Amino acid sequence: MSIGVASSPFAQRHAAKLRQARFFVWSFTRSPSTMLGLGIVLVFLALAAFGPAIVPYPGDAGGAMNLGNRLKPPSAAHWFGTDEMGNDLFSRVVIASRTSLWVGLTIVGIATLVGVPLGLAAGYFGGWVRATIMRVTDIFLSVPGIVLALAIVAALGSGILNGIIALSIVWWPGYVRLVDAKALALRNEPFVEAARCVGASHARVLALHILPNCTSPIIVKASMDMGLAILAAASLGFIGLGAKPPAPEWGAMISVARTYMPNWWWYSVFPGFAIYLTVLGFNLLGDGLRDVLDPKSSRS
Amino acid sequence: MAGTHIGRRGAMAAGLGAAGLAAGIGSSAAFELDGSRKILVYAGGQPVPVLDPHVRYDWSTRMIQQSVYDALAKYVNDPPQIVPWLAERWETNPDQTVWTFHLARNARFHNGDPVDAEAVRYSFERGLRLNKGVAWMLKDVLAPEAIAALDAHTVRFTLTRAMPSFLTYIPMWYIVNPKQVQANIANNDYGEGWMATNAAGSGPFRLRRFEPQSLIHMDAVADYWKGWPQGEHRRLSGVIYRVVREPATRRALVQRGEADLITEVPADDFDLLRDARGMKPEDHRGMTTFAITMNTTKGPTADINVRKAIAHAMDYDALMQIHNGAASLMTSPFPEQVPGHIAVPGIPRRNLDRARQFLAQSQYPNGGFELEYVHVQGLEDPRRIGLALLNALQPLNIRVNIVAQPWPTMVARGARAETAPDMVSVYVTPVTTDPDVIAGKYHTRAHGQFWGMHHLSDAQVTQWVEAARVETDAPKRNALYADIQRRVVDLQPEIFGMLANRRWIMRDYVRGFAYCPLRLTGEVDLHPLWIDTA
Amino acid sequence: MWAYIARRVALTGLMLFGLVCVTFTVSNVAPSDPAALAAGPDATRDMVETIRREYGLDRPLHEQFVRYVSGVVRGDLGRSIVTTRPVVQDLARFFPATLELVLLSMTLGVALGVPLGMMSAVLKNRAPDHLARFVAVSLVALPAFWFGILLQLFFSIWLEWLPTSGRLDLATAPPPHVSGMLLLDSLIAGQGATFGQAFAHAMLPALVLSFPCLASILRVNRAEMIEVLSADYVTAARAHGVSRLRVICVHALRNAMLPTLAIIGLRWGWMLGSTVLVETVFDWPGIGLYAVSSAIAGDFKPVMGVTLLIGLNFMVVNLIVDLLYGVLDPRLRAGA
Repeated sequence: MSIGVASSPFAQRHAAKLRQARFFVWSFTRSPSTMLGLGIVLVFLALAAFGPAIVPYPGDAGGAMNLGNRLKPPSAAHWFGTDEMGNDLFSRVVIASRTSLWVGLTIVGIATLVGVPLGLAAGYFGGWVRATIMRVTDIFLSVPGIVLALAIVAALGSGILNGIIALSIVWWPGYVRLVDAKALALRNEPFVEAARCVGASHARVLALHILPNCTSPIIVKASMDMGLAILAAASLGFIGLGAKPPAPEWGAMISVARTYMPNWWWYSVFPGFAIYLTVLGFNLLGDGLRDVLDPKSSRS
Repeated sequence: MAGTHIGRRGAMAAGLGAAGLAAGIGSSAAFELDGSRKILVYAGGQPVPVLDPHVRYDWSTRMIQQSVYDALAKYVNDPPQIVPWLAERWETNPDQTVWTFHLARNARFHNGDPVDAEAVRYSFERGLRLNKGVAWMLKDVLAPEAIAALDAHTVRFTLTRAMPSFLTYIPMWYIVNPKQVQANIANNDYGEGWMATNAAGSGPFRLRRFEPQSLIHMDAVADYWKGWPQGEHRRLSGVIYRVVREPATRRALVQRGEADLITEVPADDFDLLRDARGMKPEDHRGMTTFAITMNTTKGPTADINVRKAIAHAMDYDALMQIHNGAASLMTSPFPEQVPGHIAVPGIPRRNLDRARQFLAQSQYPNGGFELEYVHVQGLEDPRRIGLALLNALQPLNIRVNIVAQPWPTMVARGARAETAPDMVSVYVTPVTTDPDVIAGKYHTRAHGQFWGMHHLSDAQVTQWVEAARVETDAPKRNALYADIQRRVVDLQPEIFGMLANRRWIMRDYVRGFAYCPLRLTGEVDLHPLWIDTA
Repeated sequence: MWAYIARRVALTGLMLFGLVCVTFTVSNVAPSDPAALAAGPDATRDMVETIRREYGLDRPLHEQFVRYVSGVVRGDLGRSIVTTRPVVQDLARFFPATLELVLLSMTLGVALGVPLGMMSAVLKNRAPDHLARFVAVSLVALPAFWFGILLQLFFSIWLEWLPTSGRLDLATAPPPHVSGMLLLDSLIAGQGATFGQAFAHAMLPALVLSFPCLASILRVNRAEMIEVLSADYVTAARAHGVSRLRVICVHALRNAMLPTLAIIGLRWGWMLGSTVLVETVFDWPGIGLYAVSSAIAGDFKPVMGVTLLIGLNFMVVNLIVDLLYGVLDPRLRAGA
């Protein structure tokens, strides 16, 4: 221990931050539900990364067809059974996690990239800038995302890309709201005023003083939204506006599988469970992150 | 409705969690009762948004229209026949341009008015002037002024040219009561607003409750002028047509006996229900052709060798398997029930060697391109067929991009040759057996229609279609149609697919079901149905 | 106060206009020929043209926009191509069904969420608390459409306790139309059996729809309750011999009321939106099903109408909640 401290000026300089980080990790690992969430998310990420390599029939996700093998119940050869085209459901459910990961990351990514700068600008500059940005934001927030996304995808045509476009269009306003409130509170803080007094540019103040103080809630929201975005995309898939065949997608699978209930129950049960577990994982993780990073807001 | 007691089997379980309630279900009489008479419940997936017979038709709409209205003649039986209905008999002059119909004297509208020649004249005029729904069938040969009520029971139609198919359209023109329509006109609309949800007919049923998106309840007309074929004592009290969008729910309803008759049954469900106790299947060769239309004007499919290569690579067995065998492959562009149909020799079947030969002769000997395959959003079978196509074309190194689009978008794209997709899945249900309806698909005038998305321009076919349209000599006409069929197969504007069977599942106590291929997909003639409890 | 309301109403109008702009743009981005849908598959080109003229679809886009906006001001949302009826009439027919569902599931959410939240707080960190919290997270994560199908399967098809879909049994005539909400109308007409039927039909969809709302209410009430239980005045009250139950009921309930109200306000529009999924699963003839079937068919006027209706609802309910907040919490009144 003494060696570590003595030989590491880094550790000395950042002792406070390290202590804080250790506290985060400690309180994080103390909550079983958070760890469960983390575990689920890690499994999900691993499946998305290595799915095609570990599933027994990777070709079944790319439009293979084996009509002699239709709607077979779960067995040793097909753990989740087969679907109406004779494809292995296990392979398709696992590989569909890629679609979901991609959907979640892109939607949340675009929403953050659009929403955060707008929120910062609104909260920091105030006045007419804020009025304009927030009115437009409010318009989008006044309609539940799924309804607007439904209209957009219906107009553009179904497909994952169109689904992502639609959901991104309805997703960014949430970040504007979040960051605006935070930036508004921060802009009159003494350290911000001090920075401005010594002549720091707006961009510098925003980047160095405001944004870093907004990251915790953004991370928490992004983690929660990963799950919700995946759920929303699956919902579009269920309505019949999901991924283009033959690409596997959970919502679209349930949409087709619905016709095969209850006699071919496995067809819809497994994709549904996949959605449920994934969304649950991200939600639990988000909850845990919030308790650690942003304890004040953990009530709402 | 006072005094009408409607009892039903006790499936109502408002007392939640009352497990005991489940016990009695399934054993009691399944059909609805209205006094001592029975109500037949038919569950289908398609709503009836507009009832007006001159504005719209599709299978569910036509079924209700056929129940509340009568036409001059009616299609019955398989193979289909035209039998007199409101008209007792008719005659035509030698060149088939003047048609005279003599009406039945006892026909009455539901409100008691007689169905007279003026009503017939008015109905046809209304259909032509509205220029919607059925208008296309007759508008080219019949002017509204050319319909004359000679006396109370005689109507004469004078056509602008010979039209051998004239009579085949007559069963689809329903007769409305002019007095009721006139009483409900708003803004010069021929009563269109009112007629959308109300009926002014003389048919075997009258409307009791009309909820376009969910439920239509009709009462049988006790003293129907044409009588009841099953006998007055056995006729139903009425029919409920219920819109149930989910196939799984429809299956549950017929299993629980809450529905007596269902249609649009997925192939796997059908196999499951066919042999179940208390069920009776109806399985008939259909007339709806499924084809994959290819754009003959742009992209790789403009090359006839590419089209032929694709047609020879298509997995026709998969088409059958997707329907669990309940379909028949097309042997010609025409359905078999159409007079003049010939089984065209050499119509493509899967043969990869020939497919490769054709591809080698094309501008794309090694494939290496992608084709867009568009189908109507929400339809399952075309999506599966798209997957089969995707698989079938892999050996040719042709990729397929499966795209679902709403009907209006698809039609808007397909209307112009430049925007029409490479391949489109197209179902065509002919409304009559007249071959002109099908042959017209390959006429240049078909461009812009949904079945004309191939944008085929072949002077020879066009000329033959026009000649056959007015040819009144049957053998000559059939020879022309044989030429057309061979020529069209040779030009390969589409992959000729299959005709799916039309299928219903009913409870075994339902009697009087009569199939007629000229009804539209799920349409059932409700007039002769009855329920046998003996 | 009145000036505040006036300003909020004006703002709502402005936002509705914005929403009209958004939905109009959305419905015109793709080339589409709705008239072909109305005309039917066999229609000739001049028949399609007839329909196009009738619906004003032959006009240039900017003119269509001006027509639509001026129509909206007059309460005219255009005509649906599929049903051929004015969208406003269709909405008037379908909205009560949706409203009934949302109100019922709100009730369920409050009736289950408040007591569960309180129980969770009282038994903090014991097994029932963990279970309740896990259930709360699960309810948010469950895909409503999938779980709805499973419930339907279990209760309707397997156990046959509840009807599968629709609002009433087939042969049951609906009660005389008053509000369009069958539960209410059957009560007004004094038809107990019809009420029972309507309730049995609404049970499952309302339950599925209530889940996310139920989860939020549970969480808020738990948090409020924990805070109250550790507050000084409660300790004092307890010390003076006030019973624990009384403390919980009086203080905690009052404290939890405001946030619960806020959630109802927030969730209101959101639940109207979720009906898109739930109504599809349960064949519930409300605006959600109307929007979905129209969107799939490529008929956009109804979709725009539903969007506007939900947006309007959301804004009005938010306004009401803000005002109620002022009434219930005097501290906020000055600030408003």
